[in-house]
Amino acid sequence: MAFSFTYYLREFFRLEWLRKFLFVRTAPLAIPSYFRNFPELTGKTCTHHLFCMMACPAPGAIDVIRTPEGWHPRIHQGHCIRCGLCVEACPNGVLTSGRILETMFFDNTALSFSFRIDVDTERCMGCGNCAVACPVNKLIDPQMSHGGRASTDELLLKVSEGKCKVLHVEKCTGCKICEDHCPNEAISVARLLEAVHAPEEEP
Amino acid sequence: MKVEDVVCPFCGCLCDDLVVEVENNRVTSVENGCTLANEKLMEDHRLKNPIRRERGSWKDVSYDAAIQETAEILLDADRPLLYGWSGTHGEAQSVGVHLAELLGAVIDNTSTVCHGPSILAIQEVGHPGCTLGQVKNRADVIVYWGANPIDAHPRHMSRYTTYADGFFVKDAFKERKVIVIDVRKTESSAVANEFVKVDQGGDYAVLSALRAIVRGKGDLIPVKVAGVTREQLFRVADICKNAKFGAIFFGLGLTMSPGKNKNIRNAIELTEELNRHTKFTISPMRGHWNVYGSNEVFTWISGYPYAVDFARGIAFYNPGETTSVDILRRGECDACLVVASDPGAHFPRACAEHLARIPTVQIDPHVNATTHLATLQIPVAVTGIDAEGTAYRMDGVPIRTRKLYEGTYPSDLEILGKIYARVKEAKGS
Repeated sequence: MAFSFTYYLREFFRLEWLRKFLFVRTAPLAIPSYFRNFPELTGKTCTHHLFCMMACPAPGAIDVIRTPEGWHPRIHQGHCIRCGLCVEACPNGVLTSGRILETMFFDNTALSFSFRIDVDTERCMGCGNCAVACPVNKLIDPQMSHGGRASTDELLLKVSEGKCKVLHVEKCTGCKICEDHCPNEAISVARLLEAVHAPEEEP
Repeated sequence: MKVEDVVCPFCGCLCDDLVVEVENNRVTSVENGCTLANEKLMEDHRLKNPIRRERGSWKDVSYDAAIQETAEILLDADRPLLYGWSGTHGEAQSVGVHLAELLGAVIDNTSTVCHGPSILAIQEVGHPGCTLGQVKNRADVIVYWGANPIDAHPRHMSRYTTYADGFFVKDAFKERKVIVIDVRKTESSAVANEFVKVDQGGDYAVLSALRAIVRGKGDLIPVKVAGVTREQLFRVADICKNAKFGAIFFGLGLTMSPGKNKNIRNAIELTEELNRHTKFTISPMRGHWNVYGSNEVFTWISGYPYAVDFARGIAFYNPGETTSVDILRRGECDACLVVASDPGAHFPRACAEHLARIPTVQIDPHVNATTHLATLQIPVAVTGIDAEGTAYRMDGVPIRTRKLYEGTYPSDLEILGKIYARVKEAKGS
């Protein structure tokens, strides 16, 4: 007993220990600028492409809301896993996190979205719900959204020969409204996300 | 040749915005039409000429001989039945009613096995309906009860209700609520905001429950009504009461399930209750493209919409007695003229057997189940493809169908006109 008591006294009242205890120097508790934290807004204008939401792997981590000043993305920190895919997918650089934007700029890389629409003609009844509900069609031809009369071939989708036909897949924005409103599960939209190394800009 | 604004002669939607290409007396492509329109307009399986059954096989006969024989069959009969009419144009239907009057025959249309009970209910309590244009431009709540428009009227949702932007409903399906009430999940319920699954035969009880809730007697409602929870009933009643303009569309799921015309009466009375809170309308989903027209034409000539018996020399109407199924089942009828419909495929077996026993003449462009019961078939032009005429859309709007090309077949009107002339000549009136 006596042995251990003196042991403790000797151990804790060493000058070196006291100096360390009272004047210790640790690294400052600050987050470095290059840390990939929750995405933040850069102040650039959101064009409501929703690529951030489409790229996000964590359910409920990001949404894009409309305010009187315009659209802007909103991060839900409890859900966000800080992967940074939304930052990379945004075509306008609305979001930033860590060095992602700089790295993309110096490496000349980007995440690119493209969409593919498949129609199962066996299941399609040609009801036209997809073509009438399609927001892209609505902008191209108001007659389409007012009852399904296609008056131009510039449309993204229309009903032809009794089946839904994709005319201009490149106009698709990947919103999947057609897929959500198809009663027969005949139409499906694939969102293809690929990492691309953009070609060098010509001097 | 491209023909614009073609009217589709298939279902009661009567879509009039089709773009059709025609080459060498054939339709080669159809734009904007659903898969049913496409099949109807592109079909190429018509009967080439009139055929008569002789000792178990078919013999070709001329139009003139076929018309003469039809007139003779009808003149010989004591109780002829003229059935069908929903797949032809109003002008031909009109000749049909006059022919029935001349013969003292029974004339009936396909409503007899379709929306007949709906008409009975409408005769009891009226029809708070509106045109589909009003629904498109105003309705923010759509109810489909016992109907599956995606299968039977594919463009109903995209052209008139859920998906079509209207004058007061700028953002169609985002502003509209769709309620589907049925005994099973359907394609239409897949795109509904609220699906109410009713037990088979429970529609009347659910309608009564909804009426009670709308009337403010919700505390009477038990925990479940015909498989529908109290909570869901209140939710549905709330959606309906808070609508700016609501439209109920009902199909045969309501009309032909137990309760029949009383179901429809209850649905109309629910609509009436809802009109104490907001604007609500109710309309039947009519099947054949011109079945509404056959009711209209029969009514304006005889006073009755279907099952009209001229045997007494005046128009007599008593569904259950003068309806085709009852006349055939009792074996009363001794000759039948079938126009633009297919009772062989849709009537009960006993009726089809009787049709096979008596001389049955069919006026129809295609070989169908009735052909196998008939003694004579006369092919005609298809109204809306190679014949023109007036048709009534499911909401009672008359639309003139167009002739896409000059075909070689005579129209229903020509054939019936000739039969009428021969009968008139023989009767000497």
